[in-house]
Amino acid sequence: MADPMRIRAKIEGDKTVVRVLMAHEMETGQRRDSTGKVVPAHFIQEVTATHNGKTVLAAQWGPAISKNPYLQFQFAGAKAGEKIAIAWVDNKGDKRTDEATIAA
Amino acid sequence: MCRSDVAAAVALALACTLSHAGPGTGKAPTWPGIGRPATPAEIRAWDIDVRPDFKGLPRGQGSVARGQDIWESKCASCHGVFGESNEVFTPIVGGTTRKDVQTGRVEALAKGTEAQRTTMMKLSTLSTLWDYIHRAMPWNNPRTLGVDDTYAVTAYILNLAEILPGDFVLSDRNIREVQALLPNRDGKSPRHGLWLPTGKPDVRNVACMRNCAPDVKIASSLPDHARGSHGNLADQDRNRGGLRGQVTAASATAAARGGEFAAVKELTGKAACLGCHGVDRKIVGPGFNQVSEKYRAKDNAEAYLAGKIKAGGQGIWGQVPMPPSVTISDADAALLARWILKGTPE
Repeated sequence: MADPMRIRAKIEGDKTVVRVLMAHEMETGQRRDSTGKVVPAHFIQEVTATHNGKTVLAAQWGPAISKNPYLQFQFAGAKAGEKIAIAWVDNKGDKRTDEATIAA
Repeated sequence: MCRSDVAAAVALALACTLSHAGPGTGKAPTWPGIGRPATPAEIRAWDIDVRPDFKGLPRGQGSVARGQDIWESKCASCHGVFGESNEVFTPIVGGTTRKDVQTGRVEALAKGTEAQRTTMMKLSTLSTLWDYIHRAMPWNNPRTLGVDDTYAVTAYILNLAEILPGDFVLSDRNIREVQALLPNRDGKSPRHGLWLPTGKPDVRNVACMRNCAPDVKIASSLPDHARGSHGNLADQDRNRGGLRGQVTAASATAAARGGEFAAVKELTGKAACLGCHGVDRKIVGPGFNQVSEKYRAKDNAEAYLAGKIKAGGQGIWGQVPMPPSVTISDADAALLARWILKGTPE
């Protein structure tokens, strides 16, 4: 099981700004280890953000995203105190979902 | 430092005099006509260092939650919301594991598996982190965080690094226990030449005694067109001692000549403008020449720029934000704006 994401969500003006730091190796599959063997690819493929049961962001990622990815996005229509949930699925089928409360 | 066998440099001798005349020794100064003993209040204001054994650490406390508020308002613009930013400075957290917290050695540092070394990977004494934040942060306004706020920010950084839980309150009473959790607390090695007075240096600079080259040949030097890139070095170096800066541009400093912009040099120093802005090139923020070019012809350019200097901004020249300059008066901001628009005359 991967480490939890760090999520900060904050109302700024008429939008909610969400910042997420994910803990993931994000191996490209192009790297070799010290014995010359290819390090198998291991990267996040799908990211979704859900607010009140509604998907506000859906993304398809690939091996070009860095290790421990940082994601920032904004969306309209949320109130302080509500929850935002972020979920990812990687190419090995590992999953992680974390939730944060939107701050004023 | 104040042993009598130390070679008598004047500065050192003065430093010794001051500390001998300090509180507790009861000695009167023995150097008539040279200065006066520092008052206890002056020494207290100056003596802010915190040592690895936490000697000098003021009493106080701060929670992780309070630290998060301070972090997001004052620190995150440069260091990133999670301390992860690599845009202006190297990241503060990352690269450490729970196992490192147990062993006291950062595995990634020994194995070289992290591409980027973070502060938390290298830090071996918590006092260093506390002291540094307290004396030098925020960058544009150092020494404005109080003692309790410094505890709070330190606690929050340690929480970001997954060393402390979210409900932790760091204080002078429990900081030693937290020191015992630092991932790289045992990472320091004294096994090299510079650590002990008796250590062997790792380089050997032997004076040539025979068959030596008769002349020094200068193999390369700065071309003429580049010599003035950083202004006149002769004006910037100290004006005593054997090593002086070379004259690389027309001499006479702006202040000596006076004129409208005489105060600018001191202002740009006080507000730390030149840390991010070059006069004639981009550093982190745009060069003053670029700003001047963009706004020179616009109406109200001076008032606009003065406002930007005061309030800071983000997004026009890139994503690295400029923090607000709270220490600059409106008149000084207008002067700086005028100076920038006129092409930064000396």
